[in-house]
Amino acid sequence: MIGLSMLVTMILVAAFAPVFAPYDRIEAIGISDIYKPPSAQHWFGTDDAGQDVFSNFVYGARVSLTVGFVAALISILIGGTFGLVAGFFGGRWENFLMRFTDIMLVIPDLPLMVVIIALTKPSILNIIFVIGLLGWTTTARVVRSQTLAVKSRKFVLRARAIGAGRLHIITHHILPLVMPILVVQAVLVISLAILNESTLAFFGLSDPTTLSWGQMLNYAFGRGAMSTRSWWALVFPGLGIVWVVLGLILLGQGLEKVLNPRLETHHLMPGKPVVRSEAEAKPVPPWSLLEVQNLSINYINEGQPPARAVENVSFSLKEGELLGLVGESGCGKTTLMLALLRLLPSAGQIINGRVFFKGTDLTALSESRMNEFRWSGISIVFQGAMNALNPVRTVGDQIAEAIVKHIPGFPRNAIPARVTELLDLVGIAADHRDQYPHQYSGGMRQRAMIAMALACNPQVIIADEPTTALDVMIQAQILELLDSLRKKLGLSIIFVTHDLGIVAEMCDRVLVMYGGVTAEYADVDATYNDPKHPYTQELIKAFPDLTKPKKKLSSIPGYPPRLDDLPPGCRFAPRCPAVFDRCHTELPALHTVADGHVASCHLLEKTR
Amino acid sequence: MNRTRAVLRKTAWAVFTIFFVIILNFFLFRVLPGDPARAGVRDPRLKKEAVEALRVRFGLDKPVINCFESLNPIKVGSCDVNPLDTQFFIYVRNLLQGELGFSYHTNRPVADMLAERLWNTVLLIGAGQILSIILGMGLGMFAAWKARTALDYGAVSASLVAWSLPTFWLGIILLFWGSASGLPVAGKATPGMSSMPLLQQWADIARHMFLPTLTYTIVYMGEYTLIMRSSLVDVLSEDYILTAKAKGLNAVQILRDHAMKNAMLPLVTVIAINLGFTVAGAFAIERVFSWPGLGDAIIEAVARRDFPILQGAFLLIAVSVIIANFLADLTYTWLDPRVEVE
Repeated sequence: MIGLSMLVTMILVAAFAPVFAPYDRIEAIGISDIYKPPSAQHWFGTDDAGQDVFSNFVYGARVSLTVGFVAALISILIGGTFGLVAGFFGGRWENFLMRFTDIMLVIPDLPLMVVIIALTKPSILNIIFVIGLLGWTTTARVVRSQTLAVKSRKFVLRARAIGAGRLHIITHHILPLVMPILVVQAVLVISLAILNESTLAFFGLSDPTTLSWGQMLNYAFGRGAMSTRSWWALVFPGLGIVWVVLGLILLGQGLEKVLNPRLETHHLMPGKPVVRSEAEAKPVPPWSLLEVQNLSINYINEGQPPARAVENVSFSLKEGELLGLVGESGCGKTTLMLALLRLLPSAGQIINGRVFFKGTDLTALSESRMNEFRWSGISIVFQGAMNALNPVRTVGDQIAEAIVKHIPGFPRNAIPARVTELLDLVGIAADHRDQYPHQYSGGMRQRAMIAMALACNPQVIIADEPTTALDVMIQAQILELLDSLRKKLGLSIIFVTHDLGIVAEMCDRVLVMYGGVTAEYADVDATYNDPKHPYTQELIKAFPDLTKPKKKLSSIPGYPPRLDDLPPGCRFAPRCPAVFDRCHTELPALHTVADGHVASCHLLEKTR
Repeated sequence: MNRTRAVLRKTAWAVFTIFFVIILNFFLFRVLPGDPARAGVRDPRLKKEAVEALRVRFGLDKPVINCFESLNPIKVGSCDVNPLDTQFFIYVRNLLQGELGFSYHTNRPVADMLAERLWNTVLLIGAGQILSIILGMGLGMFAAWKARTALDYGAVSASLVAWSLPTFWLGIILLFWGSASGLPVAGKATPGMSSMPLLQQWADIARHMFLPTLTYTIVYMGEYTLIMRSSLVDVLSEDYILTAKAKGLNAVQILRDHAMKNAMLPLVTVIAINLGFTVAGAFAIERVFSWPGLGDAIIEAVARRDFPILQGAFLLIAVSVIIANFLADLTYTWLDPRVEVE
């Protein structure tokens, strides 16, 4: 917005130059008026010929802007055509055009402009053409890659399949999608053209019959403004250029942000401080390795109501236990897991509750103390190890890094052997140690991730949907691996998944989440054979059971609620088959139905 | 293995580009009007003998290339000439021997006149590039790390303004300020310095370089800051940064060991592409500060219509940029292990 208004102001000044300029531009006032400082009569002072700098500045805007816009138009037309043709037709045309573009891109453009203009004559048309003819390279590249991206979209393929002509496809389907990027590019090309024109003019390569800002600077610089210290003749024309170019760049950036909105958040931005709960912590049972008490997490985005991602969730994890965490996508499972290690994105905030690991309240620790617990106490295997490993460091190096960080006394020369041992544990041969992640298959990457998670002998491993992106065979391998490691090393594992079959087969206890709250938390047997919460019952109905092949599968109609727009009562109420009035107004409490079996449903209260 | 092939392919490409520039340089000066020697040959006031002497002196008695007597005006000639006896071949042969012709103005060999100037330009661009890259990377890193804080907004705004400054104008402003504060503002050394001890000479050159390098650094630092920042913000939102954080690494360790190298990749590409553009900035600076480099030589040659100098300087600068670009490309190959699978 600022950019656009800066630009429009200057265009208006240029368009209505005669209105703004107080003096006719040829009107030299006389020898006595040379290099007069700014005054009420001459706002920007006078120049080497005694002319009013402000008037020249206003008329100069015309020349500079005209050259910039027309030259950029030429560049955009050439670059746009080249890019479209190369991207759309591909093959030889693409090869030839892009090679040519690459060559033109490396040849320094300004010296070439200087040579060509010096060999011809510096008329304004020549200057426009030379700047225009040499400024198309980046546009061609940008347009080509956008055309390539658009070309393979479905609707273009469909248009081709129904026999639309090439020209029709280009003008009706591709151009509209390339246009926005072309506009952003055009804005930048205009700014470059204006800068180039001013530099050429400063070198004395400009049309002597017109006066641009660059030329004003050239005259002033070459004709004594420096020695007479007449700063006004040098400063104002330059400010004009900066004004327009800055306006264009801001406009370009603004347009780009509109076209390509990005959340400017990243993992190193400081998280929101943990809100300490007022209430005393409940005593932690001695057998509990990881104890989560009444944890609540909000996502806070400016100008929006907070999204209540997790509310009042409690569970405890024993040594060697495998806890399954089940629920549909978007019910807060990953948020809960990230919060345990205080790895929430910067919008996430723990607003209530405590997390005890071996008696230490993790929510009360400083960031640097927290770092000591990460990985050495609790490690985490993320979903889709595709991007969870750094692409430019070897896998072995990334495993070794964790050892160096957390086991200070570990002998340096023993590290490679330890890394090999860890890889061996997950079934990766030693010769893959010094390879990069892109040389691994998907399953290998996930196993490498597990090896890395084991590196510092943690007591708890969080496996956040570790098999989602893998095919069924590999999934089974990874699961078996995790289970055997648990037995071998005595690990406790929290297993986050959608897959009830896996849970039934492997887990000791199950926590079912719905819409950020605990639906049911029980032993695996109770969950499957005696589910109390309607949601758990529906989930199990939706899952095939090999022992009852005649069972009719049913799916749960509807979708889980949006976390920033939760229903006022029970969060499952809109989809619940057993819903009644109270469910729509009141959030059910957690009811203990048996020892170690809790569920949140109003029905459970009635039956008591 | 694959990597070696990539390097070989890039080398071949660089050689081809240089060859293209040589050809372009030759024909540019033959197709376009304006060269006084060629124009002079057509001047009706000259005597026949003088014209002939001029033609022989500049090799214009030979055909430009097979089938063409001359290209401006276009005169078709015999295709049945010894290709070794054409202007084009003689030009290429001379180039290979390091000869760039003779200056119209001083009659000295162009290669001798430009050799030292090339190094002065390389010195200026080299110092300016190194400083702007280091400072731009540093500032961009802090801006990305502290994204959406006052520090970030300050760095981004300052960079945007620096990016839109015309180099020569910033030079003029700094010159204005420098001349008032007693810094040397013109040339590369104080006259008479060559009799002083080497260390003092260097110190003198460094003093002279201060303002030109400062100008260069400010202008290009802005762009590098913006690129580094946006690239690092992208990298820092990747999953592997979350992994690094989960591993208990602190912010400094994550930046150093997991983010900087990855974020530098786009920067290297931009530096490589930019080299051609930064020459423009260097030329403007040379003109403002009378720095005796190639840019200064080109502007002088334009003013004196000394075309052999212009031709030679353009060739030198283009070839240097191609080589620098090639080196930047190799750096990329070395930084990114994924290149070999492409």
